[in-house]
Amino acid sequence: MSDYINIQNIHKDFSGLKVLAGVDFKVREKESHAVIGPNGAGKTTLFNIISGKLKSSSGSVVFKGQDISGKPPHILNRRGLSRSFQITNVFQELNVFDNILSGVRSRYGRRYHFFKNPYHDRNICEKTESIIDEVGLTSAKDQPASSLSYGQQRALEIGITLSTEPELILLDEPTAGMTREETEQAIRMIDRVTTGRTLIIIEHDMEVVFSLADTISVLHYGTILVSGTPEEIRNNQLVKDAYLGEE
Amino acid sequence: MKQKSKSLIIIGVLFLVSALMPIILKKYHLSMLTEIMIFALYAVSYNLLLGYAGLLSFGHAVFFGMGAFMTAIALVNIPGLSLWNAILISLVTTIFTSIILGSLLLRHKGSYFALLTLAFNSLFYAVATKWREVTGGDDGLAIMRPELNLGFTSISMTSLTNFYYLTMIVIGAAIIFCWYFTHTAMGKTVLLMRENEERMKFLGYNINISRLILFTFTGTMAGLAGIFYAFHFKFVSIWAISVDMTTAVLLMVFVGGTKVYWGPILGAFVYIILQNYLSDITARWPLFMGLIFVIMVLYVPGGLSGIITSIWQRFFVKKNHNAGKASTAEVVTS
Repeated sequence: MSDYINIQNIHKDFSGLKVLAGVDFKVREKESHAVIGPNGAGKTTLFNIISGKLKSSSGSVVFKGQDISGKPPHILNRRGLSRSFQITNVFQELNVFDNILSGVRSRYGRRYHFFKNPYHDRNICEKTESIIDEVGLTSAKDQPASSLSYGQQRALEIGITLSTEPELILLDEPTAGMTREETEQAIRMIDRVTTGRTLIIIEHDMEVVFSLADTISVLHYGTILVSGTPEEIRNNQLVKDAYLGEE
Repeated sequence: MKQKSKSLIIIGVLFLVSALMPIILKKYHLSMLTEIMIFALYAVSYNLLLGYAGLLSFGHAVFFGMGAFMTAIALVNIPGLSLWNAILISLVTTIFTSIILGSLLLRHKGSYFALLTLAFNSLFYAVATKWREVTGGDDGLAIMRPELNLGFTSISMTSLTNFYYLTMIVIGAAIIFCWYFTHTAMGKTVLLMRENEERMKFLGYNINISRLILFTFTGTMAGLAGIFYAFHFKFVSIWAISVDMTTAVLLMVFVGGTKVYWGPILGAFVYIILQNYLSDITARWPLFMGLIFVIMVLYVPGGLSGIITSIWQRFFVKKNHNAGKASTAEVVTS
């Protein structure tokens, strides 16, 4: 039972257009797994299915021995799965603290409480502060998300993803649009915050992939071309032809 | 702690000032103030939907009217009904109505949501007009205020002063509770709904439940305002549940401003006063109200409270940068 998450034969059609045609891969607990592939290979669609945003046409996702396919996102999040978005998806008008707080208090069961003020709960506030610190936004704590720089917004995106203290983290192109320097910083941060957790990451940037991932799956035209360690992927002829060779 | 004691002082001062009003004001003005309080709660409840959650509803009068009509219907049909029971019956009915309507509206957003609420408002209005045996139709329902039974003693509600004090306490408490609500976990969740419902789902929030709770809460508060409206005028007409009543609250909230909590209270104040004086001068007062609405929307999108806040910030909040944190608690947007 070492398979922590098991993606089995996922198909997805969008009114006739086949985006995923039987995706299979497994990730072990506390492993960092990267999904790579050219644009339009269906990486984000796959994430949308795993995280409950979309329903697959067929196939199943088994998480910790339970079939979670088709479950709504909020249920999956409560079971320990959290995702980030490729296009920054934060609470723009709220400040950094409130952005992170939203997930922390959800984790502590303070979603709909009618009488308790979350600011008055020490555990919640301390947890919020520590996540803000982890993603390096302490100095911007009181600023509204909309006033942050692009790099800071991406950090906030990851902070929100971490705020529900997930066991399984799905990051959708966390370094997209970043400069070289910002990317390097982001890799170090991601590496740090995901230690001891299971990570599935979609990335275009090969440097990010090879420095973060323990295992890699290559998604190509809706199927997994090959899965393996970074070394195996680097030397695989199929991958070279289909993807890496182009670079 | 500092913030908390500041709020308590403000509430205490407002309470004392309101309690002195029957001595200071003439009967006509005291009646107007009672009306302002009732509509302030109605406007505050509407702003929790519009300003805080970003949901534009054209059906808020359903709940206001439901509260008003149920009070009148209960008092007319159940002889000897006590004041508390009349309030209880009407509140429970409003809560049920909110839950049912809320669950039908959950999946709809933006203009679909707005139009559906409008359709429901028209439906309830049609029922109130046609179901003459119960609602009195165009004639409306006239009622008497029952006396207030406190267990050890009873207080007559026939005098305006006594009724004013009851309104001040009950409606005042409801307005304060709505303010408190904006600081609770659920109140913060409402802001998340406005900002990004999609993201909330991925943080463990059930959107349907969040919306239903908010819809029921605001509906109930509007219902409470409706109940006191019925008691105040001792008469309920179909106007109470008409789309006009929804437009009235929309106007109050826009004139007062949606960005700060007290905006709609100011809006209700201005609306009721204008309505009273304009209707003395001309029968075409709604025309002037409409003009004011257009001007506000076009040129003063922040409402009167927006103007006041910016003046305040310009002249009084200059030196203190740390004050930012305290004021974010008051200002919804920051």
